[in-house]
Amino acid sequence: MESPIRATRILGFIFFSLLFFVCRSAPSHNLLISNAERRIDLTSHIVKVYLTLKVENAGSTPTSEILLAFPPTQVDHLATVEALVTKGKRKKTTLVRLDVKPTELPDVPNGNKYFTIYLANPLSSGESTTLEVLYMFTHSLEPFPAEIGQSESQLVYYRDSALILSPYHIKQQTTFIKTPSTKVESFTRVEPTNRAGTEMKYGPYEDHPPYSFSPILIHFENNSPFPVVEELVREIEISHWGNLQVTEQYTLVHGGARHKGVFSRVDYQSRPTLSGASSLRQLLARLPPRVHSVYYRDEIGNISSSHLRMDSRKSELEIEPRYPLFGGWKATFVIGYGLPLQDFLFESSDDRRYLNFTFGCPLLETVVDKLTVKVVLPEGSKDPSAVVPFPVEQHLEAKYSYLDVVGRTVVVIEKKNLVPAHNSHFQVYYTFKPIFMLAEPLMLASAFFLFFVACVAYLHIDLSIRK
Amino acid sequence: MASAAKAISSPVPNEWYPTLAVVMLSVGLVVAASFFIYEATCTKRNRCIVKELITSGVASLFLGFGSLFLLLSAGVYV
Repeated sequence: MESPIRATRILGFIFFSLLFFVCRSAPSHNLLISNAERRIDLTSHIVKVYLTLKVENAGSTPTSEILLAFPPTQVDHLATVEALVTKGKRKKTTLVRLDVKPTELPDVPNGNKYFTIYLANPLSSGESTTLEVLYMFTHSLEPFPAEIGQSESQLVYYRDSALILSPYHIKQQTTFIKTPSTKVESFTRVEPTNRAGTEMKYGPYEDHPPYSFSPILIHFENNSPFPVVEELVREIEISHWGNLQVTEQYTLVHGGARHKGVFSRVDYQSRPTLSGASSLRQLLARLPPRVHSVYYRDEIGNISSSHLRMDSRKSELEIEPRYPLFGGWKATFVIGYGLPLQDFLFESSDDRRYLNFTFGCPLLETVVDKLTVKVVLPEGSKDPSAVVPFPVEQHLEAKYSYLDVVGRTVVVIEKKNLVPAHNSHFQVYYTFKPIFMLAEPLMLASAFFLFFVACVAYLHIDLSIRK
Repeated sequence: MASAAKAISSPVPNEWYPTLAVVMLSVGLVVAASFFIYEATCTKRNRCIVKELITSGVASLFLGFGSLFLLLSAGVYV
């Protein structure tokens, strides 16, 4: 009688210890978020979320990693995640950027995806720190109704959760949502909810366990145009004779509610506020200063509806497509410009040259679905390598251009789902011996010399048949 | 990094390109003209191949550089 009881006791003990270990392998729960404030900006078609987290280390060991969780539907549209921490006292606060990397974790509930924020100084037990996290979503506003006429206003759905999804216990949290206008058709109420003008407040909610989720749906009016560049190919050609030529090929589409019915030009021009309120009329491109030879053309030819304003710090190119873009309408065009070489090409400390240029679309407030940047290095360049501040795909190609014998090396960099926040600088390093620049004039000189030698040979050779 | 890095620019200042193109092409054409005049006036016996090659070499050098600067001043940055 004793042995079965002992066997069950041992089994029970083993089972209990296994359960204990399984619980331990889940994400660490020794961090606690004492206060979380989230501000969601829905004024443009890029959803910007500013999250202020006050994280407290309630465990016994110091940690320097904080996890951020995103539901699987949102993570596909996530364009950028940035984390900053304030340093210093009152008047001298500086924001220090922190590394944020996507992480894979085993056994996650509901297929959530995680990002880890690496703190500069580890957070010891009992201490708390305030983090500012900024992340942006693209294609997250769903137009409803999906098709609208010319004089109708554009209404969109925004789906999110009133409670912030987090692997940690949150003591107090509030969410503020800002809409572009006061016209909100409907919104989910998760008490306490308040709405004042263009701002909605969800919260404050107290003491919610990790991974708590409360879906909300907001149906509101957003008449901002939704410019989406489906594909952008940027070619940057470096010439050591003093010029940088940039050629950009755009495929632009209006990503909002699709247009149905007729387009009446009379209505559109006579009543601009009522008709085509969400149409795309013009775009602004911010270019570097001292730009020259700017052109804006498409397959038909030059498009003259553009303005270039130059400044000492920047140049602004305002372009209007040939026709206003309504939902679902596309436009393709090419923008090209030249820049002085000394603003962008530098010599690095280890005798290599590098190009320092902006990565990303110069158009303001546009989402780029697929960007390809091609940097064409001059003939005779060796060992090309690119340094980009975010994960990209790279490969090399060859291009044959003016006076080329062996071909020019092209560094091709590709990235998907970009927002204007990706307009930071990237560098392309390569080695080049200055003596190779003489190859081009000497090639031309030898061509002329060949012609003169042919003349001399013709005059010296006796071609007469009779002596 | 960028503040201390040295900017790289062309070995010849960009403003000189049109002037250099005109000067070099005119010198090159003058030398080429002297080459053709020599060929036309000299008789077969008095021809000196060394002189011909030197004249054509100098002419081709000036014409080569001149046409390069012509291309650069026109905006074709080769």
